[in-house]
Amino acid sequence: MSEPLTTSADDVLTVVAEALPAWLPSQRWFGGKHREITGVRPVAATTLLDGDPLLVHLVVDVEQGDHSSVYQLLVGSRRDQLPDVAASASIGALGEHTLYEASGDADLTATLLDLVVDGADLGDLSFRTEPGAEVEKGLRAHPITSEQSNTSLVYGQQYILKLFRKLVTGDNPDLRLHRALREVGCTHIAEPLGSVTGTLDGEPATIALLQRFLPDAADGWVMATTSVRDFMADPGSDPGELGGDFGGEAERLGAAIATVHADLDRALGTESVGQDDLDATVSAMAERLARVAAEVPELADHVPALEQIFQQVADLPTPLDVQNVHGDLHLGQVLRTLSGWIVLDFEGEPAASITERQELRSTLRDVAGVLRSFDYAAQQMLVGEEPDESMAERAMVWAEHNRSAFCDGYAAVAGSDPRDQEVLLRALELDKAVYEVGYEHANRPDWLGVPLASIARLVSQEDS
Amino acid sequence: MDDPTTRSSNTESPAPDHALEGLDDTPHTGESVEADGTLVEPQAGDFEHHQQDAPQPDWFKSAVFYEVLVRAFADSNGDGTGDLKGLTSRLDYLQWLGVDCLWLPPFYASPLRDGGYDISDFRAVLPEFGTVDDFVELLDEAHARGIRVITDLVLNHTSDAHPWFQASRNDPDGPYGDFYVWSDDDSKYPDARIIFVDTETSNWTYDPVRGQFFWHRFFNHQPDLNFENPAVREAMIDVLRFWLDLGIDGFRLDAVPYLFEEEGTNGENLPRTHEYLKEVRATVDREYPGRILLAEANQWPSDVVEYFGDPAVGGDECHMAFHFPLMPRIFMAVRRESRFPISEILQQTPEIPDGTQWGIFLRNHDELTLEMVSDEERDYMYAEYAKDPRMKANIGIRRRLAPLLENDRNQLELFTALLLSLPGSPVLYYGDEIGMGDNIWLGDRDAVRTPMQWSPDRNAGFSRADPGRVYLPPIMDPTYGYEAINVESQQGSPTSLLSWTRRMLAVRKQHEAFALGEFVDLGGSNPSVLSYKRVWTRPNGDEDVVLCVNNLSRFPQPVELELADHEGATPVELTGRVRFPRIGELPYLLTLPGHGFYWFQLSELGDQGERRSMS
Repeated sequence: MSEPLTTSADDVLTVVAEALPAWLPSQRWFGGKHREITGVRPVAATTLLDGDPLLVHLVVDVEQGDHSSVYQLLVGSRRDQLPDVAASASIGALGEHTLYEASGDADLTATLLDLVVDGADLGDLSFRTEPGAEVEKGLRAHPITSEQSNTSLVYGQQYILKLFRKLVTGDNPDLRLHRALREVGCTHIAEPLGSVTGTLDGEPATIALLQRFLPDAADGWVMATTSVRDFMADPGSDPGELGGDFGGEAERLGAAIATVHADLDRALGTESVGQDDLDATVSAMAERLARVAAEVPELADHVPALEQIFQQVADLPTPLDVQNVHGDLHLGQVLRTLSGWIVLDFEGEPAASITERQELRSTLRDVAGVLRSFDYAAQQMLVGEEPDESMAERAMVWAEHNRSAFCDGYAAVAGSDPRDQEVLLRALELDKAVYEVGYEHANRPDWLGVPLASIARLVSQEDS
Repeated sequence: MDDPTTRSSNTESPAPDHALEGLDDTPHTGESVEADGTLVEPQAGDFEHHQQDAPQPDWFKSAVFYEVLVRAFADSNGDGTGDLKGLTSRLDYLQWLGVDCLWLPPFYASPLRDGGYDISDFRAVLPEFGTVDDFVELLDEAHARGIRVITDLVLNHTSDAHPWFQASRNDPDGPYGDFYVWSDDDSKYPDARIIFVDTETSNWTYDPVRGQFFWHRFFNHQPDLNFENPAVREAMIDVLRFWLDLGIDGFRLDAVPYLFEEEGTNGENLPRTHEYLKEVRATVDREYPGRILLAEANQWPSDVVEYFGDPAVGGDECHMAFHFPLMPRIFMAVRRESRFPISEILQQTPEIPDGTQWGIFLRNHDELTLEMVSDEERDYMYAEYAKDPRMKANIGIRRRLAPLLENDRNQLELFTALLLSLPGSPVLYYGDEIGMGDNIWLGDRDAVRTPMQWSPDRNAGFSRADPGRVYLPPIMDPTYGYEAINVESQQGSPTSLLSWTRRMLAVRKQHEAFALGEFVDLGGSNPSVLSYKRVWTRPNGDEDVVLCVNNLSRFPQPVELELADHEGATPVELTGRVRFPRIGELPYLLTLPGHGFYWFQLSELGDQGERRSMS
């Protein structure tokens, strides 16, 4: 019996589904590392490129006890001529064919862009360009290495295709908000150029988003930590007078975020929420606090003060304006380009369910996200080091300087200063910090001090 | 002295040349007057001079310029002031250094109330600097060494001591009566701003001699010439001809935006001003091909490009213009450890016509003013400069490069490497090649105009005069003083800043891509590393690609460069010819020391490509 010369998509799916429980936990984008995989159920397999090499798009349902999540995979299959991809990409074998995660195989991934430009329909998958978008075919891609929960391929320094690793049904907010912002001419986004949509449980599910790639960009976290590095190396006093001052950038970032908020309002409108929503928000905050405090004893001292701060939100005058926001804004989600700041990834908090992510939120949630990020940037150099009070003090001075510059820039565009909405802003920031305490406790105990220090500071400001 | 036959025919008013000082024994404007009142002016044919070599029309695009103050460079006669003969005696040094063109700020006859920009005779040399014959000697000796010379020329106005002005105020009906902008009252052109607001209250000043007001955009001792008058337009072109006939290689045209006035306008950048510049350019192209005009228009690049003229014909006004905002952006970028200030300004810089080139500099005697920029840019500059005293000092003119960079050799090299590799012809400021210091106690402008430091001898080897007679004391502090910093000791040391600078100029000269190549910013994820390519396609179709990678941070940095277009090429480092690993499909990884930089050649040419022509 000789091996078949080619393999079919379904054969690949079967083999891969068997290999995944062992292979998935080694992948950075796999979100369920902390739970055991109890089963992998094949959902769909679509051949994107036939022959040898073969490129198959797979959808699998990963079961972890009572949880289950759907993931997509690009799997390559080659009989000869192994591609130049990392050993960790190898998933298994099908006869003499090697099966591997194919996002690093430039010979195969070029197909994806071509399919989008062609407007192809393959199996359940529809590849489309956005109306009016001009996209060039025939470019080779390489994956960007810094990504966490998704995989993005950069085509010839011109386009970036983001593959949403974890699939959910329903309206993908990243695609929806990008389209809305493009519609109103927002200049602070990477222009959406195309998408790939599939079907999950009979409902449409967004598989991928194609956007303009910005080769001149550097991300906000790198920019900010460059400044921190400089500040920490010099015992000078005022961060505004220091060589690596980030204040001007922080101010322009604030202005950019306020502009994006105004554009989202223009595109999709504002709604009012009443007392019920405030109460629900407060109880969500309180529940999170209770859950995290039960796991992290270091938080215990702050619980009464936090509860009190959260409770104040319920007393805010209603109705309160809410609108579409980014939802998971931090310095890693913004890019400095030659034409200014760009905001990425309007997916919302990746751990939240899609209905939660679609919830209308206050613009202050995004402001709070960036303010938290300044704290992180300021303190990241202290993580894992011997405690040093003067360094901690300097970190706080840097954070305060840039938080304030960010709010100045935001206020100049928005017409109102987020700091004036003290009660809600502080509660949102502390809620985020409580979430971080839970996350760091579970994942990066070295970093636990960062959100704890912020909580101590914000709570004591309340006392004074 | 008072021979009536050689003076004005009008015996009641003083001779037109009466306000000139020290020119009695030299040919000068108005030394005699013809019957119709026309002033006799010196002609190029009066002076012995060499003929110019065949022109190389594009020389300025790849030239390294060197701004040298005649007063500050070398004193030949021991009077304590530098002079043209002194400069001539130091040409061997400039040739050894590798500069291609000298830029001399004005050396004309002048009462020196505005640093020589108040010219009292366009056809005579300031006596303390020498004579026209000395200048011709400088030109001939410079040309013999392959060095060109350009100088400043002020078209817009003269000193009030100029014989034209004296004739104009004394004889309103004579041939010069209409040479200046006269008016019975001071009400015209109210929309033209006052440029020197600290000293001037109006653009009009009353002249009691003529009983009328005269127009001046600058100081009230600098009356504006009346370019509405065809005789003025022709007279100024004749001034150009005078020097061009003597062999000068070009002019930096001072204050060009202000030549014409027009009711209801701000009197800047008017269409008629551009028309006149086209006329000047056409004359130069026709009669003196290969000589250049450099516009001094201290404005934003998008406005300055107008002074290059029509891109359809490769530019038909000035050949060059200074790129003013790049300089503070370089300082800002290194201070912020961020490539964005430089990348942004270059992205905002429009394309320029084929036959033109920017001039770029780190230091010169002009300063960027925030008034000239757009509101948005002003906000940006203020946000970055406002609280940071060191940033503010950087755009001013009272510091030299070395003290601004705290004498940090790594930064001096990085800044120089940027100057030599960013798009435009670099202009070095005298003394910066040895890392000279400044003397801030001398006041705003003089701080950076101290004598060139040649040797550890008396007066830094600049002059044999009694030290008390030297026009400004040489720098004497322990760090930058002439005993520590001088040409003689640095020429003897292969590791000195001077030797390093000379090597870099030589490397630049070997690669036309630095001068002529397209600028391609490579961006990249590390904001502290500025990387760019200069891509030049030779007339034979070969590509010369130079890759420049600059670490703007004081800390070591890694960078991943997207070089897939050059897959398979081997980067060759240009100063040591070291071959780096081949470029593959994946991003190319480099590491740089703090403030380090690399220049690589990227072309895929074989041995043929290594032998590149020097011309």
